Amino acid sequence: MPVKLKVNNQEIEVVPGTLLIEAVKQVGVDVPHFCYSPKLKPDANCRMCLVEIEKMPKLQTSCSTQAAEGMVVLTDSPRVKEAQFSVMEFLLGNHPLDCPECDQGGECQLQDFAHKHSPTTSRFTEKKRTFEKEFFGPLIEKEMNRCVACMRCVRYCDEVMDVNALGAVDRGNVVQIGGFAHHDLDCEFCGGCIQICPVGALTSRLSMYTYRPWQVKKTETICNYCSDGCQLTLETIDDQVVRVSSAMGTGRNNGDLCARGYFGYGYVNHKERMSRPIVRQKNRAMEVTWEIAVEKAVSGLSAVRAQYGPQAIGGIISSHCTNEELYLFQKLMRQVIGTPHVDSSARYGYINAVRVMQEIFGTTRLIRYEEILQSDLIFSFSSEMAETHPITALKVKEAVKKNGAQLITVGAYNQQGDLYRSHLPKLAHPHLQVQPGTDGVAILGLMKAVVESSLQTTGRGAYFDRMKGHLLEIPFERIVAITGVPESLYREVAIRYAGAKRGILIFGRAILRGEEGYKNVRNLCNLAILAGQVMKPGAGILALAEEANELGAIEMGAVPEYLPGLMPAIPGGKTLVEMLDAAERGEIKALYVVGENPLRSLPQKQVSEAIKNLDILICQDLFHTETASMAHIILPAASFVEKEGRFTNHEGEVQRVRRAMDPLGNAKPDWEIFSMIANQMISRNSLAIAPFHYKSASEVWREVSLTMPSGWPKFSSNTMASQMAAYCECPPSTNTLHDPIVTLGRFHLQIGQTLFHSGKMSTYADGLQTLCPDDFLLIHPEDAEELKLAEGEKVTITSDVGSTVLPVKFSPKMARRTLFSSEHFGLMAKRLLPFSVDPVTQVPYGDRGFVILSRVETPVAEVAIYV
Amino acid sequence: MPVYEKILFKNMEQAGYTGTLDDYRTTGGYTALQKVLKLTPAEVIEIVKKSGLRGRGGAGFPTGMKWSFIPKIPGPKYLCCNADESEPGTFKDRQLIENDPHQMIEGIAIACYAIGAATAYIYIRGEFSLGAKILQKALSEAVAAGLIGKNIMGSDFNLNVTVHRGAGAYICGEETALLESIEGKRGKPRTKPPFPAVHGLYQKPTVINNVETLSNLPHIINRGEEWFASIGTPKSTGTRIFSVSGHVKRPGNYEVPMGISLREMIYEHAGGIRGDKQLKAIIPGGASASFLTPEFLDTGLDFESIAKVHSMLGSGGVTVMDEETCMVWAALSLLEFFEHESCGKCTPCREGSTWIVKILRRIEQGKGQLSDLDLLQSVCKRIEGNTVCAFGDAEIAPVISTLHHFREEYEAHIQGAGCPYQPNASLVMAH
Repeated sequence: MPVKLKVNNQEIEVVPGTLLIEAVKQVGVDVPHFCYSPKLKPDANCRMCLVEIEKMPKLQTSCSTQAAEGMVVLTDSPRVKEAQFSVMEFLLGNHPLDCPECDQGGECQLQDFAHKHSPTTSRFTEKKRTFEKEFFGPLIEKEMNRCVACMRCVRYCDEVMDVNALGAVDRGNVVQIGGFAHHDLDCEFCGGCIQICPVGALTSRLSMYTYRPWQVKKTETICNYCSDGCQLTLETIDDQVVRVSSAMGTGRNNGDLCARGYFGYGYVNHKERMSRPIVRQKNRAMEVTWEIAVEKAVSGLSAVRAQYGPQAIGGIISSHCTNEELYLFQKLMRQVIGTPHVDSSARYGYINAVRVMQEIFGTTRLIRYEEILQSDLIFSFSSEMAETHPITALKVKEAVKKNGAQLITVGAYNQQGDLYRSHLPKLAHPHLQVQPGTDGVAILGLMKAVVESSLQTTGRGAYFDRMKGHLLEIPFERIVAITGVPESLYREVAIRYAGAKRGILIFGRAILRGEEGYKNVRNLCNLAILAGQVMKPGAGILALAEEANELGAIEMGAVPEYLPGLMPAIPGGKTLVEMLDAAERGEIKALYVVGENPLRSLPQKQVSEAIKNLDILICQDLFHTETASMAHIILPAASFVEKEGRFTNHEGEVQRVRRAMDPLGNAKPDWEIFSMIANQMISRNSLAIAPFHYKSASEVWREVSLTMPSGWPKFSSNTMASQMAAYCECPPSTNTLHDPIVTLGRFHLQIGQTLFHSGKMSTYADGLQTLCPDDFLLIHPEDAEELKLAEGEKVTITSDVGSTVLPVKFSPKMARRTLFSSEHFGLMAKRLLPFSVDPVTQVPYGDRGFVILSRVETPVAEVAIYV
Repeated sequence: MPVYEKILFKNMEQAGYTGTLDDYRTTGGYTALQKVLKLTPAEVIEIVKKSGLRGRGGAGFPTGMKWSFIPKIPGPKYLCCNADESEPGTFKDRQLIENDPHQMIEGIAIACYAIGAATAYIYIRGEFSLGAKILQKALSEAVAAGLIGKNIMGSDFNLNVTVHRGAGAYICGEETALLESIEGKRGKPRTKPPFPAVHGLYQKPTVINNVETLSNLPHIINRGEEWFASIGTPKSTGTRIFSVSGHVKRPGNYEVPMGISLREMIYEHAGGIRGDKQLKAIIPGGASASFLTPEFLDTGLDFESIAKVHSMLGSGGVTVMDEETCMVWAALSLLEFFEHESCGKCTPCREGSTWIVKILRRIEQGKGQLSDLDLLQSVCKRIEGNTVCAFGDAEIAPVISTLHHFREEYEAHIQGAGCPYQPNASLVMAH
């Protein structure tokens, strides 16, 4: 039943519960306000939004008053205007007149309202209150003299981010924003406080004094770090990105960003960006023109093709490329060069999810963020989500904190998190803390608990019985012994998951890139089917992809097993690791590597041997990577800021990437480079293929659209039903139960991504570099105490293959006897760990293993790899 | 001097009464609770409604009605006893807590039974460390005797009472700031609605009652609502404890029926003005109440009569000022208190209080201008009614009322370039 009310003598109807400040927008009234934000609970502290309501003696704050039947509201009566004048007079009294040097000038609410709701003279003749200058760290500029104490930043940090790094310090007229209890600001640096500040109290130091809001060109695009798919507004002046923002209400992220999104744009203008093609001959690198570089590349590829056949050529591309580029790359490799060997960075893990979900459900598009918000139970197998996918984690936090959803997390972390960092297990009831690397066994335990409860869903008879039969053979004692989670917890959680109305299962890197990833994903899908949490509205599974466009890479056919549109490629080509193995054996003689750096990501020694065997290595990248340094031809690529295209995020949302500025120097968008190479290949080898005559990324996209199956990117739940029925006919996969590894005296080491970085690219961003300038090793404070380690002290970790030195950081989220190392800089820790490949999907695994930790007594060389 | 029967002070004024459970029981303690347990909660609420008992914390809201707002739904409900007595010039709750804690605890139990609460918090002013100790000890006695805890007196009524000490902010006496503080948050008032009766402590239905209000309950139950309603005036029933301070001969707490005149209170009970000087001004109900002049001496000390002369009975703190007291100084000293205690949440109070202090200070120092008086008036008007809580209206009362009654004194400061009075150290604001 809508509520009818009268605003400024006009009748309006709104849904019950609508706040007046929103309701009056219907009659075109924008009530001035500072503290109100649709993202936050009303606080009604600024008193700017007072309105007059008939029969109420006092003016009421429209930000906290709900519209009610028969209400008569005036937003512009003399009383209201007087109240607005009053608040403005109070706020401006102590406000400094520093607009000319304030970065907020030109987009400041106080400035705007001062024009509208304030006289031109002030009655305040007293000395203004001033605060002593305090620094809020390297990235956030705090100027408390400008603060209007609306507390939006503090409330955002608590209500939205669940970080609570900000608080109000002191009271009354000297109340100010500070780190809670006067500590240095050490938070997630999401930039949310800056974005939500209505005045110039909090601004970005990265862009301090570099722009005026009216000077910048604004370009709407999509962040290219992780696959959350956040909307970014790039603010550029000429060829410089000066600031990034995201307006509330826009994008999949609803204007929320993380440190990478908000402070991570610096790599675009980094001085080490390559701007001219380079050709290396006899160990001499020379900058050349595009004509020469392309000629060299094509002649090299043609020679290999002529001598060894097209199958001797392979291509590897990064999932940071656009859909158009990924499509063109596989077309170049498959159609023009004629090789099936094309792969992308989706191979590092996400392919496990797509392969399984495609097989079982016929789609990966099961869950959108809206459904997370509406779910009543979220089952997260990605306890590190707040770091790897901060915005998806925000949706989970919102579902839990605002909408009352239950959250269950599974992972090796402790439930306790770091101060001033959000940590999903903190919000979970319960958190199933498993022994590191035993997530797969925990999944079996949950499946077993579901089938053994009487809650199983109906209509899956044979499949269910078969699964049950299989699971009954696994004794619970084994599962409990391996994972360390008590049986009662498995049973409780299973019943709650199966009983949820809209249960959502989310998993990420811990599953996808852990050993047996493919099997574990299958079992997660089995778990969801058994619990009845698929094929019903709002329930489903979400796999978190690591890079911005991994789903796009697979859907565009930049993997050997799929053609564009996920049509099976027959015969399939070699995967990334297989290509390098083949190169080592001398079967692959040419590699075209785009935006990838296998020398970093895979065992260095083998890759380096493989590359040395190549006749020709072409590298196309933004930076001179380790792999590029071994290349014969290096082609400078444009960054995502400098090109058009589309990314597909892990929800399956296809979104536009837009060009904000010209490519740096002579760099070119990848799709243009592919076209140049394709056309030369075609003419030189007289191939009977239509040349790549694309004038724009949009033209490529038109061709992609025709290639994709009808209805894409939407999917039909009918197809899904039949597909799932077919899956349930085939026998379930099994997991082997390994006995727990004796860890006496050893630490389990996990390598992974951290909040402030994404792969290597972010290490070129000055903002993020300030926050996290080097790799580190996380350790539980009590372990550190036992070893008498001080924070920041360097330690040696040693495995069967070698040792390396890293500084330690304490974190209560680490389980005892476990370590975590970031993977963004030297990657030396990773080299210590065992490397294996998934038998089905060829996903390379090498993120975890056991090491011995010792204090560095004498300085040793940074790395010593035992051969 | 008229002598009245005391209700709340009766026990403690007996020789040898120490406020222990045994002492309290010899005076009939906890028999009211026993009676209440045989009634239905609705009957208890009805008795309190009929007694006409009104809140003794400041606003004077009818207690029975406040209770009846608690939704009759399952789920936790809370009672918070507001023992954060911080209003300058008010010191009555302290005496009740320190000298007869069981009277108040029994009142808490009765109130909890009536509203269906199984948990009560006593939010006690941080500085009252002695009171907190005494309460804690009294609670232990009550728990040991089965008067608080599970199955009280064999009934199925359970009650857990916790003493929660404040940390020194005046604003935490405001009921919603008090709730925030108990929840472990910064003491800031909440926006109302929603009211605590629906969304109170931990968002659950909550009643907040003052110490004196609760202490009256055992007597109302024992002696009947009609007896209570017969004391005082028809709309302000019962006795009231007035804390008299300032330039009187006998400052202290006086329990009298509501409605006796200011004159009787000052000249009879408190013994008149010290040094037999002339009376100049009275604050009748705590620092938040408007100043009154001697012409109002015959006003009754009840809610209605004091409201009629544009002040308020408030917390019952009567501050008396003699002819040598500078009114600008008095307003300034109160506003300095309010400025210091403004929580800073909402703009008009946060910015306005400092601005007023700056103007008053200028005037007091002889640096004011006549236009400042209109500015003061205007700034006060811009605060009035526009703030989150009642603090805004409270802090302007001393300014508006002194400007109204003593404008010529302000003008004298401005025209004579300074304060015409000797520095006044003799005004003791009992606080």
